[in-house]
Amino acid sequence: MREALWAELLKVRRSRLPWLTALAFTIVAVVCGLFMFILQDPPRARALGLLGGKAQLSGASADWPGFLGLLAQAVGVGGFLVFGMTAIWLFGREFSDHTAKDLLALPTSRTAIVGAKFIIAAGWALVLAVQVVMLGLLVGALLGLPGWSAPTALSGIGRILVTAALTALLTAPLSLAASVGRGYLAAVGAMFVVVFCAQVIAALGFGAYFPWSVPGLYAGIAGPDQDPPGAPGFLLVLATSTAGILATAIWWRRADHNR
Amino acid sequence: MPTIDATGLTKRYGDVLAVNDVSFQVEPGEIYALLGLNGAGKTTLIRMLLGMIAPTGGSVSVLGAAVSLGERSAWATTGYLVEAPAAYPELTVRENLEVVRRLRRLPGSADEVIDRLALTPYADRRARALSMGNLQRLALAKALIHRPDLLVLDEPVNGLDPAGVVEIRTLLGGLASEHGTTVFLSSHLLAEVARLATRVGIIHQGRLIQELDAGGLDERVRRRLTVATGDDAKAREVLEAGGYNPGPGLILTEERAIARPDEVATLLVHADVPPIKLIVEEEDLESYFLRMVGAGNA
Repeated sequence: MREALWAELLKVRRSRLPWLTALAFTIVAVVCGLFMFILQDPPRARALGLLGGKAQLSGASADWPGFLGLLAQAVGVGGFLVFGMTAIWLFGREFSDHTAKDLLALPTSRTAIVGAKFIIAAGWALVLAVQVVMLGLLVGALLGLPGWSAPTALSGIGRILVTAALTALLTAPLSLAASVGRGYLAAVGAMFVVVFCAQVIAALGFGAYFPWSVPGLYAGIAGPDQDPPGAPGFLLVLATSTAGILATAIWWRRADHNR
Repeated sequence: MPTIDATGLTKRYGDVLAVNDVSFQVEPGEIYALLGLNGAGKTTLIRMLLGMIAPTGGSVSVLGAAVSLGERSAWATTGYLVEAPAAYPELTVRENLEVVRRLRRLPGSADEVIDRLALTPYADRRARALSMGNLQRLALAKALIHRPDLLVLDEPVNGLDPAGVVEIRTLLGGLASEHGTTVFLSSHLLAEVARLATRVGIIHQGRLIQELDAGGLDERVRRRLTVATGDDAKAREVLEAGGYNPGPGLILTEERAIARPDEVATLLVHADVPPIKLIVEEEDLESYFLRMVGAGNA
């Protein structure tokens, strides 16, 4: 496993993936900050051309709890795309670059290679989640948001990190799609279908029973009137992730690798 | 113990029989070449040898270990190159080889194989910037990095320039003769195979239709004696009177004519139709191969 981890880490370090995903999460933090800036003083934002004449913004308050909640919601939706692209790249690139065949008959097992890819995906998701928290704290401080307290900050940061973890866990089936689809296309398609379904199912009120809706609901994207997902929702996320990881490992081990 | 022992290997995809009941053995130190047209089943067979595709029927053992799920003992001493060469484009040549070195749990560095495959000038160049020939060298370096006992190579000289072809031929020949490395390769370059292989298997439509020693290949190609004179009509009569059976264009296919063209010349000279051309022509390997697989008009 150590050898496979070394190899996967080198491939990620040499790719554009870390820069692109870090940039995406930077944009998430900056856009959430901009939203707060507008909410702080809408007439000022109108004067600066940041808000249309008749536009009204609602759904968040311009303070620390509102800002950290908004960041968690952004991670719940945007994070799935960013973490999803990481997972899809890690597996799909082996087929797009035709390098998968070079990983199949080695002293290092295919399961170790698949495991290393999942560990790298999880590790990078953690780094990105910490990055968005740090950037959020910086942006919030620069904006001089009111309502700071240690419990508020801990609760808000905890929500962001748990949302990121739930979101990252749910990308495991995309790894399977990238493997079975032998490239990026099928997995990217699956990712957009899942995002669409998550929004629709959450809007219909059944989000707690659709795993990909759970992170958003947990982050509060459906508003204060919606119940947060209960234990069944979290268990569904865990089950989906476990199934995705196991199915990917089994596919790499047992499938006919004829391409 | 054979290095490769395949028995009744079969692979079926729905109604398509990609490999059909193929059995063969490759002994240690042999260079075994698999010849076949595109789609003949070469790559499917090679992938089954390497455990990448599970056979529908039959079995294969490599270096004494039955190829099966989870059985990896043979891979530590097997090097391979399957289909087109591939490398991580954003990694340098050295980094690509370091990845393989690590995954093969080898000590040291990749410098030795970089030097052996003449890749030193390109060691720090990203794989995406390599020419096809150097990409092929890199793929061969990945297969050779651990000095394997068995090399399985799909079209190993594809994309190489003539100097590179000679270099790889020398390298593979040396590995087999000096280090006892067994080489199993597929190729469409028949002349190359004839120079390199000690045994040849011809695969067609999934079946192994013929196996022969490299020397045997030489014996099986068709030969003919082509004659031209100043008066071919008279020469034909003379030859027929001499017991020969000339075909159109004064072509003789009898063994005695091919073995003793001097006797044909003497006969014609004595009949006052001296030959102006007398050539023993040999069927080229491509024609022989196409004749064997029933393709073309050879």
